[in-house]
Amino acid sequence: MSDNTAQTNAVLEALQLDVRARGKGILQNVSMRVAAGQIFGIIGPSGAGKSTLLRCFNRLSELTSGIKVRGDVRLKGRSVYSAGTDVNALRARVGMLFQEPVVFPTDIRSNVLFGARRLRKLSKTDEADLAETSLRDVALWEEVRDRLAQPAGNLSLGQQQRLCLARTLAVQPEVLLMDEPTSSLDPRSTGAIEELMLQLKSRHSIVLVTHNLAQARRVSCVVACVSVRNGVGQIVEQGTSGALFGSPQSPELREYLKWDSQA
Amino acid sequence: MRRGMDVGLGLLTGGCLLACLTIAGGLIWAIVSRGWGALSLSFFTEQIALVGAAGGILWNLVGTTILLVTAFLVCAPLAVALTLLERVWLKQKRVRHWLRIGLYTANGLPSIVFGLFGFLVFVQWCGWGKSWLAGGLVLAMSMLPTVTLVLIERMAAIPERYIIAATGLGLNEEQLVWAVLLRQSWGGLISGCLLGLARAAGETAPIMFTATIFAGATLPKAVVESPVLTLPYHIFILAQDSFAPGIGTKIWGAALVLLGLVFSMSLAALPSRLRLHEESHV
Repeated sequence: MSDNTAQTNAVLEALQLDVRARGKGILQNVSMRVAAGQIFGIIGPSGAGKSTLLRCFNRLSELTSGIKVRGDVRLKGRSVYSAGTDVNALRARVGMLFQEPVVFPTDIRSNVLFGARRLRKLSKTDEADLAETSLRDVALWEEVRDRLAQPAGNLSLGQQQRLCLARTLAVQPEVLLMDEPTSSLDPRSTGAIEELMLQLKSRHSIVLVTHNLAQARRVSCVVACVSVRNGVGQIVEQGTSGALFGSPQSPELREYLKWDSQA
Repeated sequence: MRRGMDVGLGLLTGGCLLACLTIAGGLIWAIVSRGWGALSLSFFTEQIALVGAAGGILWNLVGTTILLVTAFLVCAPLAVALTLLERVWLKQKRVRHWLRIGLYTANGLPSIVFGLFGFLVFVQWCGWGKSWLAGGLVLAMSMLPTVTLVLIERMAAIPERYIIAATGLGLNEEQLVWAVLLRQSWGGLISGCLLGLARAAGETAPIMFTATIFAGATLPKAVVESPVLTLPYHIFILAQDSFAPGIGTKIWGAALVLLGLVFSMSLAALPSRLRLHEESHV
């Protein structure tokens, strides 16, 4: 997807975003655009502020005390930090998948419907349909259709992560934020999640934070490298996946890619 | 040197444990061996007779149950409200800190203080006289700190990831309270209430001024001047006032029933306590 298209169809934008925690700079001057139907990859070394950046998009960063955000994030052109923004509605529109699967200690079906049944009125039939659709979306339906009433904790880690994705999809978000969603998974489950991302991008814009450079290369249209420069996290380079991995310009990215190739 | 200290510490803690078990075991043995003979069906189904020398403890059991149920019904919602205040609604750390200090202090108050408060407020000021409701309320007050502190502990042990995941789905604070906080700490409420009730069941001081008499009461039919019979007060009066030779077994029998009641409530709270311990170490 060309940069021009990305600019016209921007679903999510960060504009000169500065993040500080208890006076210390975490991120500085971060600007990026995520277009409709795009997977935007964020790579970079640990501690550079990638997850913090991700959490600024749905204001989940506010759960951490002492975090101050300046600049702006826009969802479909509207600032998410403006006064009067319904933060809970924002979080429903910008869903999040975490590094490790977080299943609630209840059955599979209740896990899928956990958010949806509380955010909108659903009849029994609606609930059954939504559970099935969401589980089908993440290719889990055939594996769990006979044990929907069983504890979700009994599923494998890969299945749990797909269940969490189903739970997020059931809320019908417009954007999906994924914070290293495959870091705790085996290669097979990782492959399954990647395949899902590629399927889901036609309906949802996805922002993916990953340490897996091969994964970023495989699934992302555009990639940004967040690295520490002058003691604070910044986007040191961004561009199409091919350009960024093909001819990295910034010394930080070159260094990061070198470490990865050595590993 | 270090090995010697380890062995020494092991011996010391083992000795302390043995001392505790010996005292508790001796106490239980004394009560069981003396009271076992009094236990029979009629002991549970008959009412007190001959100033405690004959009959059973039917209305004492019923009265104790009435007070405990009342205390539970009053205490549980208040404990939930206080816990949510501490965990969710109070944003200032300092205020939360003072609330916790207040609860710990109230937890250490002698039960006679609650009894005197109940006597002044419910018996005299409200004009209820000795009443099951006054006793239930006083017991609720005396167990409220225990229940609230257990519930706070339980809610604090809820993994942060559940709260973040639920918030990330777009749940508001009220939905978060119902869907995560209360749902996950239900066991804490039950275990806290059971521990509080176990303590309240054996209390004599708070109810002797407010709710209980020795004999002549059955099921209360009103609030004002409607006392009940209770097990602790029954034991207290028999032990203090009666020198009749036949009464000894009855006292120990009543004490054994009270011990069984308290023990079974503590035992019922155990699974929830163990789960809390496990989850807080995940």
